[in-house]
Amino acid sequence: MTLAEHRTNETRTELVVLDGTTDHDRELIGGKAWSIQHMRALGISVPPAFVITTEVCREYYDNGRTVPPHIWEQVDDAIGHLEGQTGRRFGSSDRPLLVSVRSGAASSMPGMMDTVLNLGMTDDIEAALAEQSGDPAYAADTRRRFGEQFAKVVGTPPPLDPRDQLHQAIRAVFDSWQSSRAVSYRAARGIDDAGGTAVTVQAMVFGNLGADSGTGVLFSRDPITGAKGAYGEWLSRGQGEDVVSGRMDAVHLDVLAESMPEIHRDLLAISETLERSGRDMQDIEFTVEEGRLWLLQSRSAKRTPEAAVRCAVDMVGEGLITEAEALHRITPDQVRALQNPHLDTAAARHADMLATGKPASPGIRTGVVVVDPDEAEDLADEGTDVILGRQTTDPDDVAAMSVSVAVLTEFGGSTSHAAVVCREMAVPCVVGCGADTITALAGRTVTVDAGAGIVYDGALPIVDGRHEDAALSTVRRWLLDAHPAADPAGDLADLLDMHTREEHTES
Amino acid sequence: MTDQLTLLQALRLKGRVRASDLAESLAIDGPVLTAELDDLAAAGLAVEANGRFKLTPAGRDRLSELLDAERADLDTDALTTAYEEFDSYNNELKALMARWQLKDESTPNDHTDAAYDAAVIADLRALHDAFTPLLTRIVGQAPRLDHYPIRFASALAKIEAGDTSWFARPIADSYHTVWFELHEELIGLTGRTRAAEAAAGRAL
Repeated sequence: MTLAEHRTNETRTELVVLDGTTDHDRELIGGKAWSIQHMRALGISVPPAFVITTEVCREYYDNGRTVPPHIWEQVDDAIGHLEGQTGRRFGSSDRPLLVSVRSGAASSMPGMMDTVLNLGMTDDIEAALAEQSGDPAYAADTRRRFGEQFAKVVGTPPPLDPRDQLHQAIRAVFDSWQSSRAVSYRAARGIDDAGGTAVTVQAMVFGNLGADSGTGVLFSRDPITGAKGAYGEWLSRGQGEDVVSGRMDAVHLDVLAESMPEIHRDLLAISETLERSGRDMQDIEFTVEEGRLWLLQSRSAKRTPEAAVRCAVDMVGEGLITEAEALHRITPDQVRALQNPHLDTAAARHADMLATGKPASPGIRTGVVVVDPDEAEDLADEGTDVILGRQTTDPDDVAAMSVSVAVLTEFGGSTSHAAVVCREMAVPCVVGCGADTITALAGRTVTVDAGAGIVYDGALPIVDGRHEDAALSTVRRWLLDAHPAADPAGDLADLLDMHTREEHTES
Repeated sequence: MTDQLTLLQALRLKGRVRASDLAESLAIDGPVLTAELDDLAAAGLAVEANGRFKLTPAGRDRLSELLDAERADLDTDALTTAYEEFDSYNNELKALMARWQLKDESTPNDHTDAAYDAAVIADLRALHDAFTPLLTRIVGQAPRLDHYPIRFASALAKIEAGDTSWFARPIADSYHTVWFELHEELIGLTGRTRAAEAAAGRAL
């Protein structure tokens, strides 16, 4: 039930509380609100939210850029709804409600105001947040980021009154629809200027409020190997960016299963629901605030080539997608990556990364790091697999480079001497790993994935890629079914490439 | 009789090298050079293993002394100016090497596009011609480097005659190898070290 529908004399849908009962289209409520509505309809807890529709944006411009006063009444009512749902109060320092304000057209658009987080912040609320989280630096940082975001998108520093902040931010979203970047973006793509943007206002939830709070990310399958079963990380007492940015050390999701088994169970059920509904592997962000689970975002997950192939094949087996869809989801480049020698992905995930640099010449090799070129030549003569590690390479290093299985440098870019020479000799090479990163590894056995620019500790298993695994064999069978005239022993990536191009021509 | 500094420095820059290859680089008659290398070995400054010569630690020490003595007699201000001019040519050469080896960051040049390769070679010729006056000045300041103009010209002639392995092939006296050795000489002659240059973002 929308508030607008409560107002019997209203014919327009101006404001929608996203409570799980609505079914509006993207054109009216914008992409962000649409995805919240979608998750709510699946019965998933999302931080309470409402949306001011694109209708109001059009009214705003029809009225010479003023928001009709009755809209502000509806916004007040809707804020009341968020307060009721969260047990918090907007502008109150006792259990304060903070909100995010986001633009949302039918399709996202550069140049439009994107997001203001933590709106509703005041001096008193900063102090309250510091006390509740036990982390004054966090509260101050949240305050500072809000001030900066607000000033950037609204054009002035935030006013003291949270309601004024909210009204100004909403007007700024409407104004951003006609920003010069947004206008030229639409003009270039033939998007209608009259569509307008919606404004989504959503309660902020906090993962840093105590032992029964935290935040995490969850993949509905393993994004590295594609193996079935959710895979995630959890950071107790963590907030927002902490997990995504890797700023703090997250732990395996199993820890959550021990500390909050019910939340963990709900999370796995939600992960399955979202995957079935999205018909693809999901990357899910969530927060637990004082023992209550909130889903923040769900989208199709980025994945390794191995995971892409395995996932597509498994999902056909599970009846989730068709063979044609599976073939559409796998790219020839992903198949080629699996045909080349590559690290065993599961082993690489558990290995320690000792150094990273710029890929200069691809290839994967295991060997002992030697930092003296003379010693490198002697050891190579004795049959040792030597990885030459240097600050930077000299002309006198070339002989040693030629007998090494890989070369690493601390300084230099992809046009450095080491890079030029190694490419010429087809020796895997990573350059520019940083001061003291490589010479400190003298005597260690390492595995270099030069195409990725990573040096791993120890000897990792390398998959030679020449033999098709079960998933690739299945892909080949589908391709041959679809193209009976194709050479059954032909290169799989080429076959898929041909298939993809034919699909493209047909559609 | 080749001077000892030239020989020791050539051995250092080449790492482990066959006498015949070194003779070609330095444009010295093969048997003459072999005899000179044998003399170095007898003096404990070089050692032969599997037909290849390299410096001993004593040879490296001797080379350092000779380079220090040489630098004392050179106009290091003029060489420093030359080195600073060299830096922009060096950036151009590196960009050319990258174009020769890679069509873009992740696509190796497979050398099947003759027009592409010809354009890179034409740009190398243009760079060579523009750089030659500076090289002449450098050799004027440090006559020991007089074998460089011949080696550059020889590599370029082979490339233009169709043997493009002389563009960047390591160990052999390709254009890139000779350039890199000259660069190393300039770093030494101006009293710099490669590590310091690398940290400063040059000499990479």
